[in-house]
Amino acid sequence: MTHPWPVAITGLGCICAAGTNVDACMEALYSGQRAPAEPSRFTSSHPTRYPVFEVTGFSEPEELLRTSALGLHAAQEAIADAGLDQEMLRGLRVGVCVGTTVASAMNNEQFCRDYRAGLDPDLEPINRIMRSNPAAVIAREFGFTGPCQTVVNACASGTDAVGLAASWIRGGICDLVIAGGADELGRITYNGFISLMITDETPCKPFDKNRKGLNLGEGAGMLILESEAVRTMRNQAALSFLLGYGSACDAHHLTAPRPDGEGLRYAIAEALSCCGTKAESIAFVNAHGTGTPDNDRVESRVLADLFPGIPFLSTKGYTGHTLGAAGAIEAVFTVACLQRGIIPGSAGFTTPDPDLGGTPIEECTKIEGQVALSESLAFGGNNSVILLGTRGAA
Amino acid sequence: MDIKDKLKKILVEDLNLEELTPEEIDDNAPLFGEGLGLDSLDAVELVVLVQKHFGIEIKDMEEGRTAFQSVNALAAYIAGRLAAA
Amino acid sequence: MRITIKGIGAVGGFGCGVTDLAAALESGLGRVTEMTVPAAQGPLQIPAFRSETERLEGFVPKRTLRRIDHYSKMGLLGAYLALQDGGLLGSDLSRLGVVVASGYGATATTFAFLDSIIGDGDICASPTHFANSVHNAAAANISIMLGAKGPSLTVSQFDMSVPSALLSARQWLAEERVDAVLFGAIDELSDLTGYLWHRQYGTQHPFTISPLDTDQDSSIIGEGAAFLLLTRMDDNRAYCLIDNIDTGSLPEGKLFSPPDDALLLLGADGHRELGTRYRATIPALSRVACYTPIYGSMPAAAAFDIAAGALILQNGLAYPIPGVAGCNMDGLQVPLETTRVCALRLAGRNEYGAVSLSRL
Repeated sequence: MTHPWPVAITGLGCICAAGTNVDACMEALYSGQRAPAEPSRFTSSHPTRYPVFEVTGFSEPEELLRTSALGLHAAQEAIADAGLDQEMLRGLRVGVCVGTTVASAMNNEQFCRDYRAGLDPDLEPINRIMRSNPAAVIAREFGFTGPCQTVVNACASGTDAVGLAASWIRGGICDLVIAGGADELGRITYNGFISLMITDETPCKPFDKNRKGLNLGEGAGMLILESEAVRTMRNQAALSFLLGYGSACDAHHLTAPRPDGEGLRYAIAEALSCCGTKAESIAFVNAHGTGTPDNDRVESRVLADLFPGIPFLSTKGYTGHTLGAAGAIEAVFTVACLQRGIIPGSAGFTTPDPDLGGTPIEECTKIEGQVALSESLAFGGNNSVILLGTRGAA
Repeated sequence: MDIKDKLKKILVEDLNLEELTPEEIDDNAPLFGEGLGLDSLDAVELVVLVQKHFGIEIKDMEEGRTAFQSVNALAAYIAGRLAAA
Repeated sequence: MRITIKGIGAVGGFGCGVTDLAAALESGLGRVTEMTVPAAQGPLQIPAFRSETERLEGFVPKRTLRRIDHYSKMGLLGAYLALQDGGLLGSDLSRLGVVVASGYGATATTFAFLDSIIGDGDICASPTHFANSVHNAAAANISIMLGAKGPSLTVSQFDMSVPSALLSARQWLAEERVDAVLFGAIDELSDLTGYLWHRQYGTQHPFTISPLDTDQDSSIIGEGAAFLLLTRMDDNRAYCLIDNIDTGSLPEGKLFSPPDDALLLLGADGHRELGTRYRATIPALSRVACYTPIYGSMPAAAAFDIAAGALILQNGLAYPIPGVAGCNMDGLQVPLETTRVCALRLAGRNEYGAVSLSRL
């Protein structure tokens, strides 16, 4: 490796139901606001109306998928936040690593309906997908010449994209990487998650005794990861550091987590080992906490085992489950919480479940310590964990 | 075709239990775990199949758990729901 | 960091396994068959390279495959064959990482999920189809069947999926996160991909791909899976080394400079525009070869190119280019002996991916 751990984070960008930029999101989180509602941008013939967390006050251009437009929006904020301009970026080898579940799937319902009805539908919906690879869209917009990678690891994609981006910096492949995730709400994931019977028809309640499942959300989170050489050259302060990344597969089941959380334990151990971070120095854990019965049980038990007494929370009560964007949005929130020294209450939680490993933080809470963990558990048994915080605090 | 035979045909065809014939399925054998070896993903698929073939909505898995114990149990559940409709 | 290709598992129009792939490369004969595509004017036959997966039942009980779709089956078969070829089948795979690259994912199952909604309404959406249409389903199925508990990654970067994913796979090995990576590329034929192909190229169908003939479109759609078992350089029992992986976009008008003496393995696949781009991007007098007429046109073909390169380096000899008679790229040299191969994929306006291989 040409670049040691940790890897500096110099910019953040975020858009989701909680707000269209990082500050607005944090304000909503700290004030406990959330407003899940019936989908407004699509209809469903499903008899039950399931609430979702839509991004309001944002519209995508005709030529792009909403997912990629959301990603671009967050990338623009992150690039500005890092104090980067076109001039500076031109001389650097910049990569883009973005997680998603929706974009890049050849999945346009109207096109398929028309095709199945025996028509020769207009190809524009397909061409839009082909133009909208979320990593390529960002590279194209800014004229980046480095590698592009769209990570499609289901609900862990955003976390993996950030972790992989760090390895690109560490391997000397890139000077700077725009890393994150993006996903839009749509009928396909809406119906898909309802069909799996892990969707709550009321606002989601992560880690609560009465949790019934997740609510879907949409949005994007982006982080700027930067090599020490470039940061020194342009004399740029780091907002935080990526102190570790771990991922492991349960190799258990396509849709159910391993009951003993073995994969998650491996992933956490690997993330802690990168900088030799001790479990006791973790200030808080930003959990995956989707609000599904299985996820929250497995995850809380692992947390109780490995991080007894360390506060944890889920921010999905504010954003919904944004799938491929979730890990990235939560990485942004984790850094923003470390910067502000306060974590928000875990929205939706009211009643402790004796079957779980513990209860999440209920109110805005001051934190001690400068390192935090953000985790994602996904379809296919992917478990991914990143460790964020101050260099040397490990 | 009675409900039980229809159910067995659905199990074999729609859950791709290719090595079985509908006749080979024991009416009382557990559908999940040891019996037919179905799992949680089959369970939610079965909810959709019951909806599709019998027009009956199973709203949550609490309800499904009792109904899905065996072909006999599911047939009785479906018959009960159809009679109540 | 250099890594080695220790095993190859390939499933495609040419057959199944590294022996079939080598035999097809040797003979220069691709096995083009047909697929039927439902279209507005009725069913259409279009030429295609199709893959069979029956041999998978030699590796796993049929029962375990009941929910596995064709896309994942190709991936699983490629995975088992690569492990077998690399001598790791049956070993402890708990520190094996799995990386899958796919241009389009499980398009047939994606479509089947939509069909469940279109046919019977939203309440009849099929959870099984939904779960299997998620892009990482093949990687998950592979990890589950093999008990591979290392990290798992699926990348979908259209035509750049393979070089992009390979970059991360190499980092895993370099960072010692895993002992080996099972790296594979999968793309499949489906009603949707066949129909889109038909919409793009119409009813004029070629019999064979003439990749170096930029005067006409001769592309034929393919499907398959190409898997590579990758390890750190630990012994001499491997096909070749991967020296370098480079991907991104080339500045307008800039030539690609291949490593010294490397045989350039072109990803040209009969798309006229793409052929023209290769002609404009590679230096005059480059030493080139191209084997897409053996496996067809698809994003995953980039991994077949790497597998072909590995076989070339094992022998030290290139295979003749199939259909080279139609070459109108002046000044290209087709060498026989070589110790370096660079598999070059171009796409879009200026995207490129280059994987440099050398003889052990």
